[in-house]
Amino acid sequence: MSEPAGVRVLDDFAWDEVWGAAKGAAAPCFQCGVCTAVCPWGLVQKEPVNVRRLIRLAQLDADGWGEAIWLCTTCALCEVRCPRGVPVSEIILALRRLAWERRSVPKGLPTMLWAVHWDGNPWDQPPSQRQAWAKGLDLQPFTPEHEVLFYVGCTAAYDRRSQKIARSLVALLRAAGVSFGILADEPCCGESVRTAGQEGYLAEVVAANVRRFEEAGVRKLVAVSPHCLDMFRSHYPPWDGFRPLHYTEYLAELLDAGRLRFTREVRGTVAYHDPCYLGRRHGIYDPPRRLLAAIPGLMLAELPAAREDALCCGGGGGRMWLETHAGERFGDLRIREALGTGAEWLATSCPFCILCLEDSAKVLGAERLKVVDVTELAVRALGEASLPHPALSPTGGEEKGEGAPVRGAP
Amino acid sequence: MIPSAYSPEAARGLWVFLEQEGGQLEGVALELLGKGRELAQARGVPLTGLLLGQGVEGAARQAIAHGADHVLVAEDPLLAPYTTDAYANVATQIVLDRKPETLLLGATPNGRDLAGRLAVRLRTGLTADCTGLAWEGDTGLLLGEVSGFGGGVMASIKCARHRPQMATVRPGIFPLPSPDPERAGRIELVPVSLEAGEIRTEILERVRHEGVDITRAKVLVAGGRGVKGDFGPLTEFARLLGGEVGASRIACDLGWIGRDRQIGQTGFVTRPKLVVVCGISGATQFTVGIKAAGLIVAINSDPEAPIFEEADLCVVDDLFPILEALIAELKRGMP
Amino acid sequence: MKALDIIVCVKVVPKPEEVTVHAETRTLDRAQARSELNPPDMNAIELALALRERHGGTVSLLSMGPPFAAPYLEVGLAMGADRAYLLSDRLFGGADTLPTSFALAKGIEKIGEWDLVLCGEESSDGATGQVPAGIAEWLGCSQITYAMDLALLPDGRLRGEREIRGGHEVIAVPLPAVVSVKLGVNEPRFMDMERRRSPEPVTVWSAGNLGVDPAWLGFEGSPTVVGAVWQAKSPERQRRFLEGMPQEKARLLAEQIRAAVSPQ
Ligand SMILES: Cc1cc2nc3c(=O)[nH]c(=O)nc-3n(C[C@H](O)[C@H](O)[C@H](O)COP(=O)(O)OP(=O)(O)OC[C@H]3O[C@@H](n4cnc5c(N)ncnc54)[C@H](O)[C@@H]3O)c2cc1C
Ligand SMILES: Cc1cc2nc3c(=O)[nH]c(=O)nc-3n(C[C@H](O)[C@H](O)[C@H](O)COP(=O)(O)OP(=O)(O)OC[C@H]3O[C@@H](n4cnc5c(N)ncnc54)[C@H](O)[C@@H]3O)c2cc1C
Ligand code: SF4
Ligand code: SF4
Repeated sequence: MSEPAGVRVLDDFAWDEVWGAAKGAAAPCFQCGVCTAVCPWGLVQKEPVNVRRLIRLAQLDADGWGEAIWLCTTCALCEVRCPRGVPVSEIILALRRLAWERRSVPKGLPTMLWAVHWDGNPWDQPPSQRQAWAKGLDLQPFTPEHEVLFYVGCTAAYDRRSQKIARSLVALLRAAGVSFGILADEPCCGESVRTAGQEGYLAEVVAANVRRFEEAGVRKLVAVSPHCLDMFRSHYPPWDGFRPLHYTEYLAELLDAGRLRFTREVRGTVAYHDPCYLGRRHGIYDPPRRLLAAIPGLMLAELPAAREDALCCGGGGGRMWLETHAGERFGDLRIREALGTGAEWLATSCPFCILCLEDSAKVLGAERLKVVDVTELAVRALGEASLPHPALSPTGGEEKGEGAPVRGAP
Repeated sequence: MIPSAYSPEAARGLWVFLEQEGGQLEGVALELLGKGRELAQARGVPLTGLLLGQGVEGAARQAIAHGADHVLVAEDPLLAPYTTDAYANVATQIVLDRKPETLLLGATPNGRDLAGRLAVRLRTGLTADCTGLAWEGDTGLLLGEVSGFGGGVMASIKCARHRPQMATVRPGIFPLPSPDPERAGRIELVPVSLEAGEIRTEILERVRHEGVDITRAKVLVAGGRGVKGDFGPLTEFARLLGGEVGASRIACDLGWIGRDRQIGQTGFVTRPKLVVVCGISGATQFTVGIKAAGLIVAINSDPEAPIFEEADLCVVDDLFPILEALIAELKRGMP
Repeated sequence: MKALDIIVCVKVVPKPEEVTVHAETRTLDRAQARSELNPPDMNAIELALALRERHGGTVSLLSMGPPFAAPYLEVGLAMGADRAYLLSDRLFGGADTLPTSFALAKGIEKIGEWDLVLCGEESSDGATGQVPAGIAEWLGCSQITYAMDLALLPDGRLRGEREIRGGHEVIAVPLPAVVSVKLGVNEPRFMDMERRRSPEPVTVWSAGNLGVDPAWLGFEGSPTVVGAVWQAKSPERQRRFLEGMPQEKARLLAEQIRAAVSPQ
């Protein structure tokens, strides 16, 4: 094959290295096809994603994986079912990395990476606006004297819907009397860089962040997004005393310690959606449920597919930056499941899940069901006295206009 | 200092470059005539139009009706379509010959293409894309009001010792003057020396844009779930404004309108001068697609809708009666 | 067909929303602002790299700016550019577009081998869009401004699609030529991390290296002067709520909308 002049020939070393890793990880696969059978794409597309074949190609060092590698939401459903413990999504990310080498990547991903590079967030929002969500909250810059660093993350910092989660969490931390701070120049954790398959750039991001966190004296860190949590827990080098937590874990700790108390009734039924990166990735199934169960008056319903079997919302694995056609969104299936339980709330604990599920609820015209974050229900259960700030009143956290009737909807 | 081609002492008169297409003056040329008339009057000097093209006598008369006292016409078949070389060469000859003190051009793609080239050839200063023009009190110099840094900073710029003092002017800023067909003025044909060999550009093809491309639209009327399937009023409103219809992803998902109109994160990022957002709640995935818009108008029945946080003009109301009234307003204003 | 040697002029600009006007001194305060490569210059780099892939040749970057610009040029090198040159000297400071285009033209001549110069359509700070045509004039070559796409014709000329009002035109010009590239015409490729880890050194030239009369450079060489600067609209949206009956709101809106939309 002759390369056109001027094209940098693929770096053989990088190629071998990535192939080597992918191939090694794929080696145990005995091609049973369970992964293909459980992958949720089979539920929304006529042709399922042939996951087994992708793994085969990785074993064979062969090409021809095509567009399919970009569909994977890294939900890990196949991984927990695989009889051989094959890290399927890691292999798929390795294939993405090779796709970058040959510059065959979906439109939109380079732009997202540039946004991380120039603006420090994948949402293409100005860095100067990173703390706009906290307007009026008088948050403190983090110092080592604080009990925890509140790591907001890009989505909760910039996305209008997700900002409400961050604000609710502030109310809860304050109600529990936690001393916490936020980083003045909070960096992006690099999750979207990793799932886009840009390992190389990720290394740069992580190295800079570790330096930044160490300088700031970060030990206990509470993250809003399970995706950030996954980065800190599984993809950052551990350092002395560094203890990243998801907010559901931390709030459950506060509940156990008697620091956080829910005294107000919230009547109704809530179904809980397990975010893949909280549940299957980190086994955090109980803390969110314990929080919901501690709210007086609230009934907990389980979705048909829960915990390890939970269906993905569709937003992981970089899918937030790629279009998924109407009718092919996992979120639609999840909303239908939730409607079936008769619950009035579908609660979850991940900004990506909220965005996808809420969007699906709107498209389906599921006005009866409100998609909420666990923090948003928890805030409503705080007694008057423990509400630390008027801006954090429960009605401020309640979605308005969300249940707007959709007349023309099919 | 880089010396200019001629000195302030030698310079006389206020000129506007009259951009035309097929013998029709461009809108910005008319606007320049209106503003130029005002500046000329204030200064007590005649207003001269510089008109290059082929078959442009009609345009010259139009220029006089719109405020020119004197139109210099350079006619040549080689000037029929705009090319950098032909226009720059001919304009240079005439400017060096007559030595205007001030030369204004419209900041259209071709106006800027020419102005940038001409200013260097004449070794003079060029103030870019002005949104305001005035004479400075004590010095009598032209003050151009310009903006930079994404429109966040304004500056006034002048050109002290170089002539002509040149400026390009943003289209749509100055009002169109009303024509007076009775106005008297002098049309002067100037000889052109232009050889085909001087023109390095060959025009292969010219294409008028058809089909939808919301990324180019100057005006967008965007609808979301709140339009409840009826894009009719939005389409009519957009048409009256010479704009396009855009939509939130949900409106596309529900099949109310084509995908090629989806604005946002996984749709198109747009840069209109004006966007009217109707019945869209304002999710970040939508608003990233309009953040570079000039003016954002939001119409939403929910006073708490997040779109109002990112809008300039906010209307809390049912979108349908508002659009109906708006359409009626606009129609009333039409000739 | 011969290989193309392309020079891309890139400007390091402050993030527009982070620049303010100092209330008392009435001067620009860009000290706090983060910088980036001027966005359409990124599109110009992408276009240059794509042309190099098709025709072979080299891509060099050229910038005039303070020494802190060098790491930004490394971003362009990591995208795939072969070389980078930075014109950096106090004497270049305070330049308007006449001495800017002059210095860049001199830099281009000093680089020597070139067929094509690509620029962005305009910078996000000064935003004049005048530099590309200025460079073309100093170099005495043809130009294509506001280009959306470029290709080499079999006869060796450059074919360019350029924006005109209400549409576009396709033109052909002989090389060498200077082209300004419209924002957003392509998606700039991300950095190649192998290249990023071992960047080519950036060649820095002072005014002396260009061998030109210092009076033709910088503030001294600029015919225009800035009389005053002031803050325009606040970076935040106005958030003005219109009151009244629907008719009344519509009337107010129509007024504002008319003012916002150009009469053409
Ligand atoms: C991965 C991903 C990518 C996405 N990409 C995009 C994208 O590119 N573009 C995009 O737009 N969205 C995108 N979304 C969806 C986005 O999150 C929102 O769900 C969507 O923008 C909401 O659309 P909407 O505002 O039309 O609907 P809604 O949020 O339902 O808002 C409807 C609004 O209409 C108002 N309304 C109702 N009736 C009236 C009336 N009679 N008069 C006036 N107002 C009325 C209501 O008050 C409400 O505010 C994406 C989501 C995900 C998860
Ligand atoms: C608010 C404001 C208004 C101004 N108004 C004027 C004015 O009206 N007239 C005037 O003459 N000057 C003006 N200036 C000064 C002008 O910004 C400088 O001359 C600047 O050096 C170049 O002009 P530009 O940024 O407008 O470039 P543009 O012409 O907008 O840039 C187009 C392209 O040229 C290339 N380019 C431009 N500068 C460089 C560089 N330094 N290095 C490498 N490539 C480059 C890039 O490819 C860029 O995309 C203004 C400055 C400010 C801050
Ligand atoms: S489930 Fe596991 S073993 Fe079976 S085909 Fe998939 S990766 Fe291979
Ligand atoms: S991780 Fe999820 S989306 Fe990806 S292949 Fe496995 S089941 Fe499919």
